Amino acid sequence: MSSKNMWSFKLTTASLVLIPAAVGINYIGKLFAGVLKLPLWLDAIGTALASMMAGPVVGAIAGAINNIIYGLTMDPISFIYALTSIAIGITVGIITYKGMLRSPGQAFIAGLIVALVAAVVSTPINIAFWGGQTGNIWGDALYTYLIANNFPVWIASFLDELIVDIPDKVATLVAAYAIFKGLPQKLTVMFNNEGEIEKL
Amino acid sequence: MKSLSLYQEKNTLIHKFDPISKLFYIVAAIAIPIIIPTKTMALFCLAVSVALLLLGRVFGRVIPIISFSFFVLLSIIVVQGLFYYGNSTPIFHAGPLAFYKEGLTYALHICIRVVNILCAFAILILTTRPSDLIESLVRRGLSPRIGYVLSSVLQIIPQMSSTMDTITDAQRSRGMETEGKLLTRIKSFFPLIGPVVMNSLINTKERAMALEVRGFNSKAQKTFLNEEFNPPYNLFVKLFLAASIVFAAAWRIFI
Amino acid sequence: MKKIIVENLRYRYPLTKELALKDISFEVEKGEFVSIIGRNSAGKSTLCQALTGLIPYFYHGAYGGRVIVDGIEVGKADISQLVSKVGIVFQNPFTQVTGSKLTVYEEIAFGLENMGVSRDEMRKRIDYSLKLLDIYRFRDRNPFELSGGQMQRMAIASIIAMRPEIIVLDEPTSQLDPQGSEEVFKAIRSLSKEGMTIILVEHKIEKVAKYSNRVMLLYDGELVDFDVPHKVFSRDDLGDYGVEPPAFTQICKGLNIKDKETGLYPITLEEAYDLVVKADE
Repeated sequence: MSSKNMWSFKLTTASLVLIPAAVGINYIGKLFAGVLKLPLWLDAIGTALASMMAGPVVGAIAGAINNIIYGLTMDPISFIYALTSIAIGITVGIITYKGMLRSPGQAFIAGLIVALVAAVVSTPINIAFWGGQTGNIWGDALYTYLIANNFPVWIASFLDELIVDIPDKVATLVAAYAIFKGLPQKLTVMFNNEGEIEKL
Repeated sequence: MKSLSLYQEKNTLIHKFDPISKLFYIVAAIAIPIIIPTKTMALFCLAVSVALLLLGRVFGRVIPIISFSFFVLLSIIVVQGLFYYGNSTPIFHAGPLAFYKEGLTYALHICIRVVNILCAFAILILTTRPSDLIESLVRRGLSPRIGYVLSSVLQIIPQMSSTMDTITDAQRSRGMETEGKLLTRIKSFFPLIGPVVMNSLINTKERAMALEVRGFNSKAQKTFLNEEFNPPYNLFVKLFLAASIVFAAAWRIFI
Repeated sequence: MKKIIVENLRYRYPLTKELALKDISFEVEKGEFVSIIGRNSAGKSTLCQALTGLIPYFYHGAYGGRVIVDGIEVGKADISQLVSKVGIVFQNPFTQVTGSKLTVYEEIAFGLENMGVSRDEMRKRIDYSLKLLDIYRFRDRNPFELSGGQMQRMAIASIIAMRPEIIVLDEPTSQLDPQGSEEVFKAIRSLSKEGMTIILVEHKIEKVAKYSNRVMLLYDGELVDFDVPHKVFSRDDLGDYGVEPPAFTQICKGLNIKDKETGLYPITLEEAYDLVVKADE
């Protein structure tokens, strides 16, 4: 897929139908982490997948809709973090379309990049909303330690977020990559259509 | 199968307002305390939200919504009370640790703001069917294709949820380990969620085709099966809320 | 006027080398009941989708020839313009549920809302479709709570509410239990009685024999035969094309029982019985 079409806002029916599936997969990931009591969120596997399959625009929309629906039906705080989901969708989309997601090792690195982006986007939200905390025990423990030692709030908050995001986003990207690689070509080609019908 | 919603079916005044008016309310309830950032204003907005919730007889249902954030708020009170950078006036001691007035005030301010936002959203969430909200937005210009995506997400989550329940039951009856070594736990899950994930993706192709042949991309002006119930008081409410925001801004600038 | 005209239709899916449809030409009259048979990957589904515009517009790829459906040339229109001319029902009842509507009634309205049909007209059409498909009593249920057969009938109802005069059904019963299958075949017969032109892809060869005016045999993307059922099933080379005739026909072929005048084998139990009785006399 050429990267010059990466930012096209023309949404095909297939891309739109992908979005609820992505949100469903996000939900499964979250449930999976909950049932197995993993210290991760794993709630963006679907978003990442949508980006890998259909580009940054679709991934961003999938992320946004994910948070909007969660906000509307379970926890309004999700609304606010829609920005983070959008950022994740865009980042994974760009990485994929630049051809930098071609091996599990690259997926690992992509996870690190996404963690960084997510932390950068979430930190201002965390600070404005919660005074810098994230609600995760380990992250907040680090935050507490840092501000107790007079580190600036924004550093403490950023590291709080980052330390939670790194394992979570790496696991997310690796899982999404594994699923992506396992999909039949007949399916992935659906989202890659350049749009030209050849005449026979 | 239920669709995803916290909607409480009741017949109160609040239920009768249209979803867009409630969206306006949320904007007002969030904007006004930002424009006039005094504690009085924050508490006033909170009081209004609570009053509306009581009027809608859904106040009790706010608890689950707030409970998502409860522990975070608690931890904020503790952490800021102990370590807020502007701490200088101790209020009480718990063993060797001192809680300071500045930190606790800061934490309290955060709590009020969060609860205020949650309550404002709760008015929308508890007294409006998500499908009605989406339909209202589409009537007013939201792309019907996006409206479709939002509506179908509402049903896909309960479906995934019940599929996962079936899977967890099946696993349990096979003696799956939900305790024990992490790797074993993870490994036992893959063979089952793998197909669920794959199926949901493979189905997208057929579903997209089915939508196409139902005129999904038709350029015709869309019509609605249901009639819209939009009495004039909705317009009045929206104007009132918009005016309050403007008034608050004017107050801030000139006083 | 012919309802469907196909001239030299050629098609190749993206990223493939072989043509999926090779120079197919045929015509279908209004009100005909046509069945398409052939082994897997013969091109049956591809042909069905070519009649609705899904090929080429959904898949892209390489396309040649002409398909004219109810006067509109597929190659010069788009899918939305064709939905009021030709409808299609697929195998999987579950993936044909939009998922955005909470009742069967609203589900059927989905296509009509997209087309901009007026509210009164919508209600008339939905009631008509619900009753024709015998699912009126389910109209307030959630679509996902229906059985497979009921869901498939809802899919058919959703399509005919858009008032196409041609309906294509691509193996509509292959994922249903026997009861569901019977319900769907009964529904298809009602549609045929209403005068609709029916294109049915089916493996249940006895049904094909019973209902079709004509049978089309496809193999490897080519049209091998398109004729009345008796002639197609009397062929000796059906096995080469991966198709078996109805059981009664097979028995009669084995016993060499055929109609003396036409030289054709019987395709239903009644015919076979009559011939055997006659042969005895």
